[in-house]
Amino acid sequence: MAADSEPESEVFEITDFTTASEWERFISKVEEVLNDWKLIGVSSGKPLEKGIYTTGTWEEKSDEISFADFKFSVTHHYLVQEPSDKDGKEELAEDALPLPMQDLLCMNNDFPPRAHCLVRWYGLREFVVIAPAANNEAVVSESKCNLLLSSISIALGNTGCQVPLFVQIHQKWRRMYVGECQGPGVRTDFEMVHLRKVPSQYTHLSGLLEIFKTKIGCPLTPLPPVSMAIRLTYVLQDWQQYFWPQQPPDIDALVGGEVGGLEFGKLPFGACEDPISELHLATTWPHLAEGIIVDNDVYSDLDPMQAPQWSVRVRKADNPQCLLGDFLTEFFKLCRRKESTDEILGRSAFEEEGKEVADITHALSKLTEPAPVPIHKLSVTNMVHSARKKIRKHRGVDESPLNNDVLNTILLFLFPDAADKLADGFESRANTSAGNNPPPENEDYNLFSQFKSAPSDSLTYKLALCLCMINFYHGGVKGVAHLWQEFVLEMRYRWENNYLIPGLANGSPDLRCCLLHQKLQMLNCCIERKKARDEGKRGSVSDRSPGASGDGAKGAEHSADNPDKEKEFGKSWESWSDSEDEFFECLSDTEDLKGNGQENGKKGGAKEGNKEPVNLKPEGRLHPHGKLMLLHPGEPLYVPITQEPAPMTEDLLEEQSEVLAKLGTSAEGAHLRARMQSACLLSDMESFKAANPGCCLEDFVRWYSPRDYIEEEVVDEKGNKIIKGELSARMKIPSNMWVEAWETAKPIPARRQKRLFDDTREAEKVLHYLAVQKSADLARHLLPCIIHAAVLKVKDEEALEDISSVKKIIKQIISHSSKVLRFPNPEDKKLEEIIAQIMSVEAIIARARSLKAKFGVEKCENEEEKEDLQRFVNCLLEQPEVSVVGAGRGPAGSIIHKLFVNAQRLTESSDEVSVVPPLEEELRRSGCAEERRQGVQSEFPPPTGREVILRSAVPRPAPYSKALPQRMYSVLTREDFRLAGAFSADTTFF
Amino acid sequence: MDEDVLTTLKILIIGESGVGKSSLLLRFTDDTFDPELAATIGVDFKVKTISVDGNKAKLAIWDTAGQERFRTLTPSYYRGAQGVILVYDVTRRDTFVKLDNWLNELETYCTRNDIVKMLVGNKIDKENHEVDRNEGLKFARKHSMLFIEASAKTCDGVQCAFEELVEKIIQTPGLWESESQNRGVKLSNKEEGYGGGGACGGYCSML
Repeated sequence: MAADSEPESEVFEITDFTTASEWERFISKVEEVLNDWKLIGVSSGKPLEKGIYTTGTWEEKSDEISFADFKFSVTHHYLVQEPSDKDGKEELAEDALPLPMQDLLCMNNDFPPRAHCLVRWYGLREFVVIAPAANNEAVVSESKCNLLLSSISIALGNTGCQVPLFVQIHQKWRRMYVGECQGPGVRTDFEMVHLRKVPSQYTHLSGLLEIFKTKIGCPLTPLPPVSMAIRLTYVLQDWQQYFWPQQPPDIDALVGGEVGGLEFGKLPFGACEDPISELHLATTWPHLAEGIIVDNDVYSDLDPMQAPQWSVRVRKADNPQCLLGDFLTEFFKLCRRKESTDEILGRSAFEEEGKEVADITHALSKLTEPAPVPIHKLSVTNMVHSARKKIRKHRGVDESPLNNDVLNTILLFLFPDAADKLADGFESRANTSAGNNPPPENEDYNLFSQFKSAPSDSLTYKLALCLCMINFYHGGVKGVAHLWQEFVLEMRYRWENNYLIPGLANGSPDLRCCLLHQKLQMLNCCIERKKARDEGKRGSVSDRSPGASGDGAKGAEHSADNPDKEKEFGKSWESWSDSEDEFFECLSDTEDLKGNGQENGKKGGAKEGNKEPVNLKPEGRLHPHGKLMLLHPGEPLYVPITQEPAPMTEDLLEEQSEVLAKLGTSAEGAHLRARMQSACLLSDMESFKAANPGCCLEDFVRWYSPRDYIEEEVVDEKGNKIIKGELSARMKIPSNMWVEAWETAKPIPARRQKRLFDDTREAEKVLHYLAVQKSADLARHLLPCIIHAAVLKVKDEEALEDISSVKKIIKQIISHSSKVLRFPNPEDKKLEEIIAQIMSVEAIIARARSLKAKFGVEKCENEEEKEDLQRFVNCLLEQPEVSVVGAGRGPAGSIIHKLFVNAQRLTESSDEVSVVPPLEEELRRSGCAEERRQGVQSEFPPPTGREVILRSAVPRPAPYSKALPQRMYSVLTREDFRLAGAFSADTTFF
Repeated sequence: MDEDVLTTLKILIIGESGVGKSSLLLRFTDDTFDPELAATIGVDFKVKTISVDGNKAKLAIWDTAGQERFRTLTPSYYRGAQGVILVYDVTRRDTFVKLDNWLNELETYCTRNDIVKMLVGNKIDKENHEVDRNEGLKFARKHSMLFIEASAKTCDGVQCAFEELVEKIIQTPGLWESESQNRGVKLSNKEEGYGGGGACGGYCSML
């Protein structure tokens, strides 16, 4: 069709592709793709190293092409290889076989633990697969298959591509491929047979050898040697002799009110079922020459114990049910509940009459339906279910969801100070939760600031754990709502009765913690102030909180030893005799006098002309400010007792900064903003005036903003150096806010000032806030604490096992969580991710424990062997397949052997025929198989899989052709038999 | 307001009293200098939109009072800041010496640990410097901060300081993207290291 251009015809020749068929177009598309991927030409590369298929990186590239309107996807799979220096090899390659054909005979990468099936079957390092694209039906009919095969054959021929090209035929699951590889004068055909039932002659080596030889059809005698690699795989599912070590927690003890296997304040850990479901033992004879062993339908030399190579892989149970994971998931589900506490408890539903009544009934029905958790034999969930049912049965209409004993235990745990007699178990905890101890400065402890949770010894953290536990074991969301209600009541009780809340750090709310924690701290601040006030009223000396004395210390640092001969005249202040209408504190003056006895001796020199004698004597002094003296009267300058700034939780803060920001950026806005914030300044000024009668603004500035009092040395007319000081320029601006405030400030000690912080109002706000939190809100508030606790838990558990991969994942979880949790309202999806990560770590650790138990690592007495075993177990967790040192005779090997022997004994003793794997049934049917199996391999069950690779270099098609690689792979499993052959032929003269 | 603003950033200015924090801010936002600027009470607030590398960012800048006593009040505003400008006065060594305290304060009250920090040595127009540029540099390096010397009076380095800071913040995606919609915090390699579990694409085992 196309141009057969004759050289002499100089005329313009028209090449006409208008009539090209779909088929031709398809071929050209295939060629185009091969070109695009630069797969044309001699393939080069180093001989394959041992195990490179496992250790190396595999990559793939895909494209889509179509045959008419039928879409195919083309995928290039290849092992990433370092670019080799090509120059030296090009020449060698002239006559050499294409690499893929060499690979067919390479024995360094047989049975790779993880690879594309074509790699496993043909040992190829590189190939291209054309398969029907997703959503396209399979190519089934023979003519279509042949059409495809011819297409690739033509494409390979046209392009000179040496990479094997496969087409996938039949249904995807059958993994049927046919393909071709072409080189200069050589061609390899890849063929495949896939059957459900195995013809009996193919179940053994001699039968397979026969097929292989027939297929090659070698005209030579004697035949060139055939090399064989054999792998038998045995599966162990029956672990019965090794009970899964996890003890399910004792629920009944908990229900009875005693703290049983699980304590409040702790998270459970571990799998409830064996997280390792199967052990696969592969026994391999990597290189056997023909005739060395016998394996036919009556006898077999293939004793797994004698196999030179053993390797093991374990099959992990998918998503094993793990306690910690269940706890987390169930708690996270709480976040999605919509009901309010009242709705859940059904007590005052009438308050919200008419509103969401349907929702309530829905909620109740939800509660009474069993949760859709799959029930495993003997699993904890099972027991939990029965426990929950028991609770439900016992609970009458008026009965509260949490039984009294449980509730009391929890409250005692949360508020250890409430109990007169502490149970032994709680004493230690009470100590740590006192909050007075300096917090331990370690990384784990400070996790709370990354997670925005709460310190691990705080009330909030403990509350979170209790709620988590209750949610899981004691009545679910109802229990949670009940405990929360009790908790809020307790908070109110403490507020009203001036009992500090335990387990919270002193001082204003820690903005690094979760909002709920801040709210509790806020409440504690309120209680503290109220308590101090009430005690003051009662006449006792009010304690100063540590925070305030800290401030004082800071002030003391400030002291500079300014010479106080300064005679500069300060502005004298007008006294104010108005009586205040609001009092901060009601200490009587006489008591105050007693308190400041020593200082009062020196008093009286004030000549400010106060109308009230009360103002003549200083009040509310904290301590002298270094050696500083007042400028005017020459008295020592005292740092006053000041009001503490109002504690703030982050939501209040947000509100306030919003208000401040709303004032805008204009000059008026800025002024107003300064005015709004000057309350604290004014209060400090008033305290200062009260403590330092006769002082002036300069004095105040020297304490408050020392850099705004500028001193310089000047030499006076007599030649003496004196120090002159004055206010900085900015303080001297007429009627600036500082001056203004100073002028309005009256000498009032802090305790009689108007309160900057209205603790009553703030406490009520907090209590209201707590009361309206729904269970879901609560769960959201506390989720960071739960995640924090879970991370600590897995960290602890990992420390016992020392699994390096887990360490890495935990680090990732921490950094991930700290990114997610620090923002308000993290997305559910991200939270789920974190929980899933924690669950996966739990599963890994549980698997490690399971394997350790199975391989008796702990029981091993020889230290060296124990170490080896430990390493072996760790490898099993991390690698897809682990080879057993010493095969069947090594320490690990003998343990594996024992496992199989025990399992086998159990199988034999039970008469159930159904236990016998189908493969054996099959063999039994074939008659003589039984004795054979029993003769050699009674200790092992029949192999679940038999893989055989046969290789040879044989000239085809004629005796005088080149000797070319021939290979046949066969695999036989219970319901699957496959032969995958690659047969090469010399095409030069044929 | 501005439709094309990429993000809003919260910037803090802190440092000892009288080092020129408000002056720097005033120079940056209004391009003016007032030698008689009143001492700040509590916190003040200004807004400016700037464009860095073609990205418009709206800056909400919180200017704080440097006085000791206000320090019980101002740290509350550190919350959520993405950038901080730490100012000292090159003519007053004591303002430089106190920088450590300010960093501690930041660490204690800042809600995130990846906040971008810039050190500014102000008042370089004045004579008799007490703090050498190299000292500033050394301090900044030690605490991984940006560093620049500036003068609010002569305008030296002010614009530059803010721009650099914003650019750096924009280059730290986790720091600001999440503010707007909590989007884009990607977990780079969360799949990695899962101990070989899970499904494997092309894996073929005969079993």
